[in-house]
Order: sequence, then C-alpha cells, then structure tokens
Amino acid sequence: MRSLWLQVAAVTAINLKSISQRRWLSLSTVIAIALVVIVLLAFLAMANGFQRTIAGSGADDIAIVLRAGSQAEINSTVSRDQVRLIEDGPGIARGSDGKPLISPELYLVVDGIKRTTKTKANLPLRGIGEQGSELRKDVRITAGRMFSRGSNEVVVGKALLREFEGLDLGSTVSFGATRWTVVGVFEAGGSVFESEIWADLSVVQSLFNRNNIVQTVRARLTGPAALNELKSYSDNDPRLKLDVKSEASYFAEQASQTSDLIQKLGWPLAIAMALGAVAGALNTMYSSVAARATEIATLRAIGFGGFPAFVGTLAESLLLAVIGGLLGAAATYLIFDGVTASTLGGNFTQVVFDFKLSPWLIAEGVALALIVGLIGGLFPALRAARLPIVEGLYAN
Amino acid sequence: MNDFDLVRKNLFRRKLRASLMIVSILIAFMIFGVLAGFYRAFTAGEDAAAADRMITVNKINFTQPMPIAYFNRVKAVEGVRQVTFANWFGGYYQDPKNFIMALAIEPNTYFDVYRSEIDVPPEQLQAFIRDRGSAVVGEALAQKWGWKIGDRIPLNSNIFSQKSGGHTWDLTIVAIAKGKAQHVDTNFLLFQYPYFDETRSFGKDTIGWMILQTTSPENNDRVAKTIDAMFANSTAETSTDTEKAFGKAFAAQFGNIALIVLLVVGAAFITILMIVGNTMALSIRERTREIGVLKTLGFSGPRILTMVLGESVLLALLGGIPGLAIAALIAMALRTSLANIAPAFAVSPTIALQGLALMIALGLITGIIPALNAMRLKIATALGRG
Repeated sequence: MRSLWLQVAAVTAINLKSISQRRWLSLSTVIAIALVVIVLLAFLAMANGFQRTIAGSGADDIAIVLRAGSQAEINSTVSRDQVRLIEDGPGIARGSDGKPLISPELYLVVDGIKRTTKTKANLPLRGIGEQGSELRKDVRITAGRMFSRGSNEVVVGKALLREFEGLDLGSTVSFGATRWTVVGVFEAGGSVFESEIWADLSVVQSLFNRNNIVQTVRARLTGPAALNELKSYSDNDPRLKLDVKSEASYFAEQASQTSDLIQKLGWPLAIAMALGAVAGALNTMYSSVAARATEIATLRAIGFGGFPAFVGTLAESLLLAVIGGLLGAAATYLIFDGVTASTLGGNFTQVVFDFKLSPWLIAEGVALALIVGLIGGLFPALRAARLPIVEGLYAN
Repeated sequence: MNDFDLVRKNLFRRKLRASLMIVSILIAFMIFGVLAGFYRAFTAGEDAAAADRMITVNKINFTQPMPIAYFNRVKAVEGVRQVTFANWFGGYYQDPKNFIMALAIEPNTYFDVYRSEIDVPPEQLQAFIRDRGSAVVGEALAQKWGWKIGDRIPLNSNIFSQKSGGHTWDLTIVAIAKGKAQHVDTNFLLFQYPYFDETRSFGKDTIGWMILQTTSPENNDRVAKTIDAMFANSTAETSTDTEKAFGKAFAAQFGNIALIVLLVVGAAFITILMIVGNTMALSIRERTREIGVLKTLGFSGPRILTMVLGESVLLALLGGIPGLAIAALIAMALRTSLANIAPAFAVSPTIALQGLALMIALGLITGIIPALNAMRLKIATALGRG
C-alpha cells in the first residue's frame, strides 16, 4: 500500500514539474478558467452588493403601511384619515411626550443627472414626517444640518451625492418651478436610504399638489411581535384595507427580485463559459498525456501501476484549475470589489450600491474552477491509466 | 482530392480534439447570440423610435403628472401634426404579480400617432371609440390570457382607486391590436382616458405624458423649445425630447447593460480565442513534417497559408453556426417570459451576420500565426525535424 502512494507521489511530482514544458497550453487553460471565474464572481458580487444594500435597510420593529396590492411605495396611496386611524392603532410605540412614533411619507420621483454618463435618472425625493429620521437606524448628518420644518430645504444621502451631480452641500436644485437648497448630507448605515433626498412632508405635499395624501406610513412598534396586532387591526377595519408589513420583509421582497435577475443571468453565463473552459482543459490534458506517452509507458514497463498515472494527470489538471480560480477571484477583487453602480430598484428609482465580494462567493468561484479542472482532467487521466504499454513506447 | 478535402481531412484527423474545439466555439457564439439578442431587445424602443415623434413630460420627472389643459395648447403649436396623451395605470390582472402594461389613452388620436407600429382593424377601432368602458388589447397579451373580443375582464390598479373605493375597473375587450413589425411589443392594454379620469378617486384632470408628431423631423427642435417655453414658470414645467432620446435615457437607467454585455462576450471570446489558437498551433506543429512533404510536392507557400487558414475558418464556422442556431432557439423559448423586460427578444438577421463576420475573424486570427509559420517553413528544417 505504501509503495502505491510513493508511486502516486512520484508520478504526480513528475507531472507537475513537467508543466513548464507545456507552458503556453497550460497558461491558456489557467487564463480560460480565470476568465470564467471573473465573469461569475462579477455577477455574484453585483447581486450580493445590491441585496446587502436593500435587505440591510429594513428593521424588524418598524412597520410599513402601504395601500393593499401596491407592492412598492411609489404605487401606494394612504389618505389623511387612514393615517389618523393608524396613529391610534395597537402595537405602536410612543415617545416620551406620549405621541405615537410614526412618520407619514410621500415618495416622489425627480430627475437627477448621473455623473458618469450625464444622463437623466430617476431619484427618490422623500417627504418625511417629524419622526422620519428617528425611525431609521444609524441616520447621521455628516455635513451641514437637518432641514428645518416648513422650508424648501433638503438633505441628501451620501451615496446619491457620489453618483449624481448638482447635489453638493449648499447648492440649489430645482424640481419644476420650485427651488430647494441642499443643507445637509446624511449617512444611513449603507442602506438604501442613502440613495434618497429627504425634505419636510408638508412642504413636499403642498409643492407637488398632494395635499391630504401620503404614500406610506412608517411606525415604530413596541416590539417585532406587535406587528400582528397592527395587521389584524388594519384587516378588521373596513376603512383601512392596507398592507402592513415589517420594514425588513418589505425590503427583502424588493431586493430579491432584482438580485434574482442578476443571478439568473450570471450563473447560466458562467456555466456556459465553464463548458468552453472544460473543452480547453480537456485539450490541454489530452495533449499533456500524449506528450508524456513514452514517459508513462516507460514507468508502466518498469512496474508502476495505472493508478499513479491517473492521479498524476488529474492532479495536474486540478492544480491548473485552482491557480485559474484563485487568479480569477483575485482579479475580480481588484477590479470589481467596491465598484459603485446604480440601477433601477423596485420603486422605479435609482438604488446606488457597491459590488461586494464575500469569502463565500470566492469559494463558489473556486469550486466552479475545480469542477472545470476535475472534468477536464478526468478523461485524459483515464486514458493515461489505460495507455497500452507497447503503443506508448512507440508513441514517437 | 481538392484542397478543401485536404482541409477537411486535416481538421478531423484528431476527431476528439476537433470536436472539443467545435464545442468551445459553439458555446462562445451561443453566448454572443443570446446576449446580442437580449441587448437588441432592450434597446428596441430606441431603434424603433420614429424620427418625427416627440415626448413631452413633466420637467420634474416623467412620473409626475401635468394638467390635461396642456393637450389643447400643444395641439395649437405650429409644426405639430398630431398629439395624443397617455396615463400610466399600474395595471395587474387578478394578482399583483400579473403585471400588465396598461395605459389610459386619448381614444381619438392615440392610434393615429402610432399608426406605423400598431394595427387595429378600423371597425374595431370605431367600436373602441364609441364604448367608454372598452379596451384595446395587444395580440401577445390577449394570447397570454386567452382573451377574445367581447370578453369582460377586471383590471386592477396598484396605484389608483375608484371613487367607490375599489381598485378594479371592468373593461370590455372590443379590439385586438397587432404589431406592424417584429420589434413591436404587443403586451399592452389600452383603455379610454375619459372613463378612467371620471372614475378615479384622485389626480383628476391630469395626464402622464404627451406624444406628439411633428410635421417634419427638422421642426423637432423648434417645436420642443416652443412647448417648453410655453409652460416655463408654471406649476408644471415640461420637458420635450425626441422619442429616441427619451428611450435611450430610460434604458440607461438600468445601469450600463452594454458594458456588461461587452465584458462578458469579450471574456468568452478571449477564452475561446486562446484555447482554439493554442490548439491550432499545436496541431500545425505536429504536422511540420507533412507540410515539408507538401512543399516538396510543389505546394506553394501561399497555398499552404490558405489551407491552414481555411482549416481554422472552417472550424470557427462549424462551431459558430450551430451556436447561433441554439441561441435563436433559446431566445424563442425565453421570449414570452422576458416579454416585460425585453420584448422582441430574438437573434435577428443583423446579429446573425455580425456573428458570421466574427466567426471568420476568429478563424483568421487563430489561424494566422500557425499559417504564417507553416508558409515560411523551410523544407529541409521540416523534414529534418521529429
């Protein structure tokens, strides 16, 4: 038994050392595998970044109330009377002054100009109630100050500032005939809110002719469990007919659609390319076996078994695959990790997010590379193991 | 035996190797076909845009409404041949997941503006104009739900509600619209704006956007400036742009799709190029002695160059053509499920021609170095080797 493993080690060593003789063919396989991994990881990093930005935005103890069937904030409408009924609903936390912690909000789409392409893109302008910023975790003004109530002032999210022009602190933006001053920049823990512009609800309502109407109501719950109380309260009152969801589940739904689409695009592409790379790897390894036919036959003639020849060839293929996989992961990390992108989200407005590679995604990429290496090495390895000795000796 | 036979025989001498290369090329062109088809469908609106058509939207953003009074004022602008308007309805059928592209439209003018794309039989159109509660359904949508003329369907809105409190409008289908060209997406439902406006609970007397047709594309600029100046400093300022520019800006919102497509096709191509190029070089090197023999027999250098290039181009075509064919099948299979994002998803003749050109380029690029080497090979070296 021990001698078998010695044989395996010896043949594997010979195989690996001889890679340099086939350096161009081997290099092309490594690069092919690396490219496959880059494409896969770029897509996965994009989906992951998008998912993290949106799904990370919601809290379990915040309820979001929308018109039934509206699915996204932009489509929803909630009347002033309904807002009052929600204020009195069960399960809603109250501040030290006894007032319910809720924020009626109006979500409008305005145009912004993208820095990179100079094209128009949909930006969200959110009119928030008095408690609006307290209902979101980790909101912090990083420059300037919060807007004052009743004025044409806005604060903009950090991510938006990075991607769109004309929103810098102190500048004036006009939406239609109204001019607004940017008085502050806020951070919101990397959440989707950083892609928004915030202003006072009542000012937005009057300037956009939406008096008495809001789109959503956010409410702090006494605890995550209080959600069901509020839900059944809304279901049982015919005047309400509203969808009550936790903010966390609302955003999870929003995120899954787009990131599913990205992943559904990424995996088939990567798999199709991987098939191409398998063909390349098979070519390389068959050539490797052909080039070493005499060598393998000689080893067999002096008593080495077929199994070491099999393992040696497979090891070579797997080594090339691992190098390719790691190279691809490293390249993806260098090129794509942290790259900022933006796309239309579920609310028909731009969501700014970063490509984000994770150890788990890298593992998926390297696993794909290994599969390519395994399939690409398996059949040539079988051929090496079964090579008839006499034919091999006369190969050249 | 002519040169082509020789090329063919040479190529398939190592059947396994040739098949593997064909498979890699097939996959590369399959990816190319699918992505190019998807990209084309994605930008179809842009290509299909008529040069004399313009869109007027609220300057704040196209999702903001504007007063219906604008319609008559725009109609009177010199250089405007026809104008119509539409309002987004946020429609769905039975379940919010069954999204329907539904618009409330101005019944008398809408089909005139879109006459080069949408075809509605005249008597059906008359029926639509006569009946306030009726709807025109695009062929693809009618097919999807099995709707026929005369059917009454409940259309829900995820935005609007009725004065009575409900979210459902009952409509009678009186016309089925066909697309006049392949790229026209017929997944739509159109119904009368007057009926919509008088039944909805909010937003009365506002419209979403206007589509206008100028008397000639040369007037576009002047018409746009006149319209936007007319509403400057009002509560709803407008922004008028050509349909093409509007569509392009809208498509750009999804992020840089073109770049991703280029990146992926590029990566796939480089991969395949390397694999095929390397293998070609390998197989020519193996045949050094034979090439020497051919030269001894009197084959000229250029003739050998052509034969080697012919081999690599043949290989590219053998892989590429079936690859494109598979892409076309995939596009056909996915067309209905992707109808909302990318209508008219198909491998068009243009894409096929581009693919063919790429195949030939791939063949020439991968073959050129081994071919040149073979051409330059000295008989003595060739026969002396190996």
